[in-house]
Amino acid sequence: MIRSDSRPKLDGSAVYGVDLREEGMLWGALVLAPASHGRIRRLDLSNARAMPGVAAVIGPDEVRALLPSRDGDRERPAFPRSEVLYRNQPVAAVAAATRAQARAAARAVAIELEPLPIVPDVESVYPEWPADGAPISPDVIAHVHARHGDLARCFGEAEFVHAETYRTSGVHQVALEPHACLARVDADRWFVRTSTQTPFGVREDAAEILGIPQERIVVEGTWVGGGFGGKGSSFLEPYALLLAAATGRPVKLQLTHREEFLLGRTTLPTVVRIETAVREGRMTARRVRLLLDSGASLPGRDFATGFVIGFLLGPYRLDAFEMEGFGIRTNKPPFGPHRAPLTPQCVFVEESHTDSIARRLGVDPVEFRLRQVWREGDRTHLDQPVGPFGIEEGLRRAQAVVREWRRDLPKDHGIGVAVGFWSTGTGAGGEARVRVGPTGLTIVQGEREIGSGSVVGGLSRVAERVTGLPREAVRIEYRDTSEAPYDSGVFGSRTVGALGQAVEKAARRLLQGIGERLGERTPVSLAWHDGRVLVVAGEQRLELAELLTPEERAKGGVEAAGRHFGAPGAIDEGRVVTGSFYPFNDFTGSVAVVEVGVDRETGAVTPVRVASFPDVGVVLDRALVDGQVEGGVVMGLGTALTEEMLWGPDGRLGNPHFLDYRIPTLGEAPPIRIDPVEGFRGAGPFGAKGVGEPPIIPIPAAVANAVADAVGARVTELPVSAERVARALKLL
Amino acid sequence: MTEPPVRLSVNGEPRSLTVPTDERLLDTLRQRLGLTGTKEGCRSGDCGACTVVVDGHPMLSCLTLTHEVPDATILTIEGAGRDPIGLRVQRAFEREGALQCGYCTPGFVLALTGLLTERGGVADPSELLEDLSGNLCRCTGYAAIVRAVRRVAEESH
Repeated sequence: MIRSDSRPKLDGSAVYGVDLREEGMLWGALVLAPASHGRIRRLDLSNARAMPGVAAVIGPDEVRALLPSRDGDRERPAFPRSEVLYRNQPVAAVAAATRAQARAAARAVAIELEPLPIVPDVESVYPEWPADGAPISPDVIAHVHARHGDLARCFGEAEFVHAETYRTSGVHQVALEPHACLARVDADRWFVRTSTQTPFGVREDAAEILGIPQERIVVEGTWVGGGFGGKGSSFLEPYALLLAAATGRPVKLQLTHREEFLLGRTTLPTVVRIETAVREGRMTARRVRLLLDSGASLPGRDFATGFVIGFLLGPYRLDAFEMEGFGIRTNKPPFGPHRAPLTPQCVFVEESHTDSIARRLGVDPVEFRLRQVWREGDRTHLDQPVGPFGIEEGLRRAQAVVREWRRDLPKDHGIGVAVGFWSTGTGAGGEARVRVGPTGLTIVQGEREIGSGSVVGGLSRVAERVTGLPREAVRIEYRDTSEAPYDSGVFGSRTVGALGQAVEKAARRLLQGIGERLGERTPVSLAWHDGRVLVVAGEQRLELAELLTPEERAKGGVEAAGRHFGAPGAIDEGRVVTGSFYPFNDFTGSVAVVEVGVDRETGAVTPVRVASFPDVGVVLDRALVDGQVEGGVVMGLGTALTEEMLWGPDGRLGNPHFLDYRIPTLGEAPPIRIDPVEGFRGAGPFGAKGVGEPPIIPIPAAVANAVADAVGARVTELPVSAERVARALKLL
Repeated sequence: MTEPPVRLSVNGEPRSLTVPTDERLLDTLRQRLGLTGTKEGCRSGDCGACTVVVDGHPMLSCLTLTHEVPDATILTIEGAGRDPIGLRVQRAFEREGALQCGYCTPGFVLALTGLLTERGGVADPSELLEDLSGNLCRCTGYAAIVRAVRRVAEESH
C-alpha cells in the first residue's frame, strides 16, 4: 500500500522545520553554559553585540524588558538569572544575518560562573539504598512508594529470594532532523512554525515560559523528521519567539546534531534493586527500588518516576509487593521522553530478572511466565481491572517460534524471550473535525505526521472504515493552533487510539446527519465513484452533491466535530504510601523473541533474527503496523547493544556524535518476523490499540535473555555491550 | 579576495554562483538555491542525509566544498524524477513504503541512484546494501529500505 505522504517525501517538496525560510529572516543561535553547575557572576553580551551581522543578543535582562507583564521570577525562566543547572543550558541567545554570524556571536558572549558542587549521577547521592526512615536527600525531586499484601510473610516463607541490582544507561532519541523552528512576532501575535509532535503542547508550554496568554501564541506544525518523544512540548520555540520579538524580524533557530546530543532531553540512567520471593515454582512477592536520574528536571515536573515504576513489577499476579522510587536531580539536562519513556529499560530489568528466576528453577522461561501473566479480569498491582490483554496469546505464539528456532540453533547462539507490557496514552484528549463534500472527505486537525503514519494513514483508515470511502477519497488538512481543533499531540501511541476516537465520532455524526436528510433511520454509508462521493442507503445510491444546499456546496460540504476525552482509570490509593502513580489506560504491549550469536572471545553480540507479537487489538493498516514493529525493534536493538550516553564526573557528555553514539546501521538490522495479535480489543476505534511504542519495549530484555541462553552469563547493565559480555564471561 | 564564480549544472539547469571558498555544497544547494530537499544531518559525514549525485557518483554534500566541484553535474532529490534511474529508485521506495518520517529519504534515494549510475544501472543487491550502510535511518529499521533496494536491483536485470 502506498503511503499518501510518499510523493512530497520523495520529490523533496515536503517542508520540515529545518527547511523553513522567510523573507528578511535572521538566524538565531543559543549561548550554552560552559559548566555543569555554577552561580552566574557575569554575563557580558557586549562583545557579541559588536560582532558582524548581529541584530540582537538577549539574556535574562533583555527578556524581562521584552516581557514587562512577567511578574517576578517565574518557575521556568527562559534563561537562568542566577544559577546554571546543567552544562550547555541556554543562558542567552543571538540573532544575526547568517547562521555562521549568529554562531560566532554566540561564542563571543562572555560568561563567568562561580563553580558549585555537581551531582553527576544518582549513585553520588545514594551509593546504597537509604535505610528505612533515613532523611530524604534534598536532591530528590520525586518520591513514590506503594505496597500491598504481606510482603514480609511472602519473603519469609519463600523457598528462595532472588535479588539483583541492574543499571541502565541514558539513551538519545536521535531523530535525524534536528530541532528547528521559525518565529515571527507581529503586534500581539506570537507565531512560530516548528517541527513538533505537539503543536498545542508547544503553545501551552511557550505561554508558561514567556508568561503571555496562550491565545496570543500561534503554532503551526511542519513535517517532522522523526520525533520519538524528543519533539514534544516546547524546546527552541520560546527562544526563537524572544529573538523575533527583540529584532522585529522573523528568526530561524536550528540545532546542530552535536547540540542535539549536548542539550537534548533524553532518557537518563537508572539503578534498580529488584527482589522476588519464589515458592512452589511461582513468584509470590516482589520488592523493587528505583533510583532515576531526573537531570535538571524541576521538582513537581517529574512525570517518569511514578509512571514507569509499575513496569518494574511486571504484568504478573503477585500476592504482595512493595515499590519505591526516587527521582533524583542531577546536573544533566532534564529527563525527557523517548519512545515508551524508560520502559524498555524497566522491562529489561524486570524481564531479565524473571528470566533468571526461571533458569534458576530450571523451568522453561516462557512456561514460567505463562503461569502468572495477567489475563483480562485480573487486577493490577494498584488494583485496576486488567482489560483485554493479548500478552498471554503472544507468549504462546512466541513459544512456538522458540521451538522452531531451537531445532537448528548454532553453537554460541541463544534465544531470549521477553514480555513488554504497555499502557497507551488514550487518556489524553483531543478533538477533530471531519468534512465531507461532493469530491471527498477531509479530516481537519493540527497534528502533523511524524513518520509513523498515524496521522496520514491511521486517522484516514478510521474515517474510511466508518464511512466506507476508499483511501483516495480521504485527505488530511492541517491547520495552525488558532484554527485547528485542540489535540494533546502525537505521543504515547495515542494518535489512532485517542484522536482516532474523535475522528470516528465526527465521521459517524456526519453519516447520521446525511441519513436524516434522506429521512432514513438507519445510518447511511458512503461510496466513491468517478471521483464523486455517493450516499448509499439501502438499495439507494445517489450523489452527495444532490443532498447539499448551494451554501454547503460553496463551503466544500458539511462538517461535524468529534471529541474524545478519556476518563483515567482509578487506582487504589490505599496502596499508595506517597507520591503520584499513573493509572493504566489501555492494556497492551508486545512479546519478542530474539536470537543472538555471541563471540566468546570478544563478547560481541550479533542479533540474528527477531520475532515480534504486538498486541494491536485490530490491524487497521498492516503496512503501517509492520513499519512500527520493524522500526521499534531495531531502535530497541540500539538500546540493547550499543546506545549509551557517556557523561564524565564533571557532567560533560563524552560522545555527542554519531561515531561514538552508535545507532543501528543498515547492515546490523536482522530479519524480523511480525505476527500481530488481534482480538483483544483496545479503547481505540474498532478496538485498535496504539502500536508505536510496544514493539521496542521487550527488545533489550529479550537480547539480554538470549545472551544468557547462549553463554550462560547474565549482563545486568544496559547496553549489553561487548565489554560487559566479556566481563560477564570473565574475559576481562 | 574575490573568487571566480563556480559553474554547476543542477538538475539540468546551468548555474553560475559566487560563493565563499569555504562554503559547503550542502549550504549552496539549500540556502543559495533553495533546494531544501537535500537534508542537513550531522554535517560531519556520518549520517548520509545530505547525499547528492555529483557527476554520476553519490557524494556527501556536507563534506564537499562547492569550489571543489567546478563544472559538476549535480542531481538532487528535486530532479531525481527526471533521471531514469532516480525515477526507478523513487518508485521502488514508494511501492515498498520505504520511508516513514522521510528525512533520510532523499539521501537514500540519491545514494542508491548514484551507486546504480556508477554501475550502468545494473547491480547486485548485496553490493548495493553494503554501500548504503553509511546512510542512517531511525524510523524504518531498514527493512522496507532493503526491500526497495532489492526491488530496484531486480528490475535492473
